[in-house]
Amino acid sequence: MTKRFFRRTDFLLIAATAGILIMSLVIIGSATHINTPGQERYWYVQRQGIFALVNIAFAAFLMNFDYKMLQGYGNKLYIFNIILLLAVMIFGHSALGAQRWIMIGPISIQPSEFSKIIMIVSLATMLNDRVGKINNLHDLAPIVLYVGVPFLLVLKQPDLGTSLVFMAITLGMLFVSGINLKLLGGLFVAGAASTPLLWHFMKDYQKMRIMVFMDPNVDPLGSGYHIIQSKIAIGSGMLFGKGLFQGTQSQLNFLPENHTDFIFAVVGEELGFVGVAFLLLLYLVVLWRGVCIARDAGDTFGRLLAVGITSMLAFHVLVNVGMTMGIMPVTGIPLPLMSYGVSSLTTNILSVAILLNIQLRKQKLLF
Amino acid sequence: MNENDDYSGRLRAFGVIVVLVIAVLIGRAAYLQVYEGDYFAQLADGNRIRIIPSMAPRGTFYDRNGEVLVTNRPGFTVSLLPLSKPSPEVIQRVSDLVKVPVEEINKKIAAHSGFDPIRVKQDVTPDIVDIVEEHKDEYPGVVIEVQPIRNYILKQMGAHIFGYVSEINDAELEKKKDEGYKSGDIIGKFGLEKIYDKELRGTNGGEQVEVDVSGKPVQIIGRKDPEAGLDMQLTIDKNLQEAAEKAVDDQLAQIHANAAAAVVMNPQTGEILAMVSRPAFDPNLFAHGISSKDWNVLNNNPYHPMDNKAISGEYPPGSTFKIVTGTAALTEGVVSPSEKILDTGHHWIIPKGNSEGEALGWINFEEALAHSDNVYFYEMGNRLGIDRLEKYGRMFGLGKRTGIDLPYEADGLVANKEYKKKWFDDGEWYLSETFDAAIGQGFNLVTPLQACMVMSEIAADGKRYKPHLVSALKYPDGTLAESFEPVVLSQLDTTPDIIHLIQQGLRGVTQYGTAASAFRGFPIQIAGKTGTAENSQGRDHGWFVAYGPFDNPNVCVAVIVENGGFGAQSAVPIGRKILEAAFGLNQPQADDTQTKNKAKN
Repeated sequence: MTKRFFRRTDFLLIAATAGILIMSLVIIGSATHINTPGQERYWYVQRQGIFALVNIAFAAFLMNFDYKMLQGYGNKLYIFNIILLLAVMIFGHSALGAQRWIMIGPISIQPSEFSKIIMIVSLATMLNDRVGKINNLHDLAPIVLYVGVPFLLVLKQPDLGTSLVFMAITLGMLFVSGINLKLLGGLFVAGAASTPLLWHFMKDYQKMRIMVFMDPNVDPLGSGYHIIQSKIAIGSGMLFGKGLFQGTQSQLNFLPENHTDFIFAVVGEELGFVGVAFLLLLYLVVLWRGVCIARDAGDTFGRLLAVGITSMLAFHVLVNVGMTMGIMPVTGIPLPLMSYGVSSLTTNILSVAILLNIQLRKQKLLF
Repeated sequence: MNENDDYSGRLRAFGVIVVLVIAVLIGRAAYLQVYEGDYFAQLADGNRIRIIPSMAPRGTFYDRNGEVLVTNRPGFTVSLLPLSKPSPEVIQRVSDLVKVPVEEINKKIAAHSGFDPIRVKQDVTPDIVDIVEEHKDEYPGVVIEVQPIRNYILKQMGAHIFGYVSEINDAELEKKKDEGYKSGDIIGKFGLEKIYDKELRGTNGGEQVEVDVSGKPVQIIGRKDPEAGLDMQLTIDKNLQEAAEKAVDDQLAQIHANAAAAVVMNPQTGEILAMVSRPAFDPNLFAHGISSKDWNVLNNNPYHPMDNKAISGEYPPGSTFKIVTGTAALTEGVVSPSEKILDTGHHWIIPKGNSEGEALGWINFEEALAHSDNVYFYEMGNRLGIDRLEKYGRMFGLGKRTGIDLPYEADGLVANKEYKKKWFDDGEWYLSETFDAAIGQGFNLVTPLQACMVMSEIAADGKRYKPHLVSALKYPDGTLAESFEPVVLSQLDTTPDIIHLIQQGLRGVTQYGTAASAFRGFPIQIAGKTGTAENSQGRDHGWFVAYGPFDNPNVCVAVIVENGGFGAQSAVPIGRKILEAAFGLNQPQADDTQTKNKAKN
């Protein structure tokens, strides 16, 4: 048992994940130490570090359970997810014009983060029986309906970023489920056609973000400010960076939200292209292992889970990093395992834990 | 598992997409950081580095005895940092605080270029400084600069000499860009401040400061200390200036006149000892940005307080011109000093006479000059002709600027045929115009400084010194940078004998002539000449020019009182008081040694 356990443990995935987490703590430290007085100087690092350790311990504990049992909870989780999202709308408190947080004791959690992983589990449960059987609108309709309810609830918060993540997850899982490519194409067209609907749901600040993405100079001191300052930070890092704790854009506060959504810009500024490339390669390792684990998964449910998780992580990396470099609009999607934030951190560590669990229980290598 | 084969193609495609995502991101990072890195590095420096200039203090003005005349004091200026353009709310808040209209602030922002702060309001009170400093959050991008502010400690005294400073305007900037002037610079606009601006201004310094996003300085990266401008030693005597101003003010109040000018100089050197123009203004008003209310008061005053009448006021010289006519007549030999001419009250060719119509009978040159007899000098004009009168007028330096180190000096005018031909439909020259010219009426115009120069040339035995106000420029540590020695411009082309005759005639003026009653009992011998300039616009202007002590003159004075009437009544009392002050006679307890020392100056 122990021997098999070790052989099947994906150390490369663990190493890459650990590497990202360590970089995360260092960069959060650099981004926050200057604004926080005296003894609480490393409050953010400590908090993120402690939650990382707690989550890792919890993930290790979860290795005792087989991921397949999740399949039995798929529909219950789906209903829990809807209740959670409704609770946010009713009890949540808002920031930046969006209701995203609910308080549980001293911790404010962002249910939309957890709802991503719940979405993956429940969609994998649903698609499990339909793999290879999604050939026409009749087959697609229930899936769209199934995803549509939580999607609209998140959009209503409004949390455009998370709703886009839902779409990415769904597309990824449908693609691997062997959906008829014409149907997938039709889905794309429908998505494009429903853009005006999305636009309708958006708040003014979100519309501004899209406009600013097209041209940051529309509003250089308002919505465009983030993108401009972030590009300056990353670009000015040049090849080797300005050195840890030396980034002028970040340390002098020109770069907003430098420990959360724009943490990648701090990496770019302080560690340069070398640091950026290293971090992105770590992500490539994680994503690549996700694809391999999907390939080697012992069952369809496991494969769907792995693909969903990989889609989610890849989309996060693309949109967040793309945003900091001015090739994606500002949507408020955190960088997985890097951005400060308990909800996001927990979701992503759990996601990696599920990948490890799938790898651990692949049946192919049973002999 | 069979399914695996069906979907491994899809999974492979999925894997390719994932790799592409990372590849695109790395490519974009390479573009930003390697290809465009230098550009963004510059932008980052632009973000964090501010140049906070520190203005060099302008040079101090000292009088000839080392007394401070004009200096600087620290003042607080509310400015905006140029790169982080403040929001409309902040501009509104600043506008309310310093009482400068929003439009004006926006205009300043629009016109601004470079890294220097945009100065919104200079010389604000300490409570405004406190408000900005204590509520930094409400005033992002707003800074308080400490700048030296020009301090004219004598208020309006000497204003026309010292001039004033204020912010450079667009036209001046356009002209002086190449000399290193920048928008927002303080520049001399008038008086010595204008003429010697380059010497006085010094070199501005500044600090390169690293700031955070709110513009708060984090650390100083570089510093260049400002270099103070050169100090200026003036030829002015502060006490004499004060006495002259008081003498003018008292007389204007007494005779209910509004405008006057006086010039006091040393005829042996050309040094200006005092210069007064009335009405005057307080140059401090401009040092911290003049309010439109104050500006309107100055601008709407019909007597033009902003003009230095001592050098830019042009008046008919009146009888003071008889010095020129007399010199010409004797030098050209058209009359001998002893020849007597009969004054019957009017001239025999053209019935023009003395102003009060009195007849002095047979008189010689000295008597004619002392009593300012018109008939005698009409005859001199008649004998000389206008061309020779013009020649001697120009020989005395009339009709062109003296070259004093002040701006906006007027040329004056010497009556001549050319001028009449050029400007009048009837270009013919008439004898009556020669008569007018001979007694300083008609076309002739002089500034009070030019009138003083004519008198000085007689006092200095024919030497014409360049009038000047600055004797030395000094470095802040007191060492000499440049000194200005007396310059002889020309020498009157006549004989010492003739000059002596003129001098004696002028001494007669204060002994038995037109100014005798005013100078009765004056302990020092004075040569003088009164004059009354006919004024078609209103009451005549009164003139008085004088120098003393007679044997070794070191003080020459010219006074004009606009619309003052007869010079003997309006200008002479001022001239006498100035001479008293110059010779130390106005201090009751003045001991003899001091008087002598002053007289030797």
